[in-house]
Amino acid sequence: MKTIVITGTRKGIGKALAEYYLANNWRVAGCSRGDASITNENYVHYSLDVSDEKAVVAMARDLKKRFGNVDGLLNNAGIASMNHALLTPGETVNRILQTNVVGTFLFCREMAKLMRSTKSGRIVNFTTVAHPLNLEGEAIYAASKAAVESLTRILARELAELQITVNAVGPTPIDTDLIRGVPSEKMDALLARQAIRRMGDVKDVINAVDFFIRPESDFITGQVLYLGGVN
Amino acid sequence: MPNRSEIEMLVIESVRLLADDFEIDALRQADASSRLYGTDGSLDSMALVNLIADIEEAVDEKFGASIALADEKAMSAKHSPFRDVSSLTDATKERIEA
Repeated sequence: MKTIVITGTRKGIGKALAEYYLANNWRVAGCSRGDASITNENYVHYSLDVSDEKAVVAMARDLKKRFGNVDGLLNNAGIASMNHALLTPGETVNRILQTNVVGTFLFCREMAKLMRSTKSGRIVNFTTVAHPLNLEGEAIYAASKAAVESLTRILARELAELQITVNAVGPTPIDTDLIRGVPSEKMDALLARQAIRRMGDVKDVINAVDFFIRPESDFITGQVLYLGGVN
Repeated sequence: MPNRSEIEMLVIESVRLLADDFEIDALRQADASSRLYGTDGSLDSMALVNLIADIEEAVDEKFGASIALADEKAMSAKHSPFRDVSSLTDATKERIEA
């Protein structure tokens, strides 16, 4: 049975991804700051903050003991804060960078170590269309995801020798907690900038992620795939 | 707490296993004096990355200690702790005891 690590599995896209891979006979190791919201014999949960280096290392060591190696990693955990730059506290900036950038990096580093023996590791990071669209009100969120894209491209090169691919998926707005509270006229204006003008769905994200995870995708790395026709 | 010779054995064993995997003939029979990385060393940067990860895992498995060999101290050291088996053993011991 293959093992996939998914961060941020308590709700939203992360939970849906975990349920999808469990239904497809994967073992899933999930994490969130709170308790598990998934009950399945092939699901193991770690309550941690993805930017807590010691906790991430401890999770990796535990996975090594339990399962020996890891086949895939989905760096889904992320936070956003929609606000004008002049009204964004430094504390919020740090929190977003810690979770989105530091958390993604730590999981890439630790899980890549556990993928070495498989010779077919897969890492999928999460970015956003807010970065290519330069969305107002999302300066820090978009900047943090720009960093994730850069990490993706460089780690793709550094980890290629270990036969690990590193790619990123950039969803459009999806009806999850992340965009709750965004005014509808803002949302309509955003959708108008997509080639395909509708809200994204979790299944759109699963489809793109699964494309990168497939064994046949071993010649695809360092790519960023935006949904909805954004580029 | 493991003593120095136990740690040295773990380091040598890790180097030998890596040498088999990476087909590095010069290190298949590694001993306490083997050069690893840098001048006269036989490891390239990718092999070194693998060796460090292997030793960190082995230390956790064998001695139950969670260490990071590639920490800021190692990166800024005047003499790299990764240059030979002896310096790597000392660096591993220091971190287990920290």
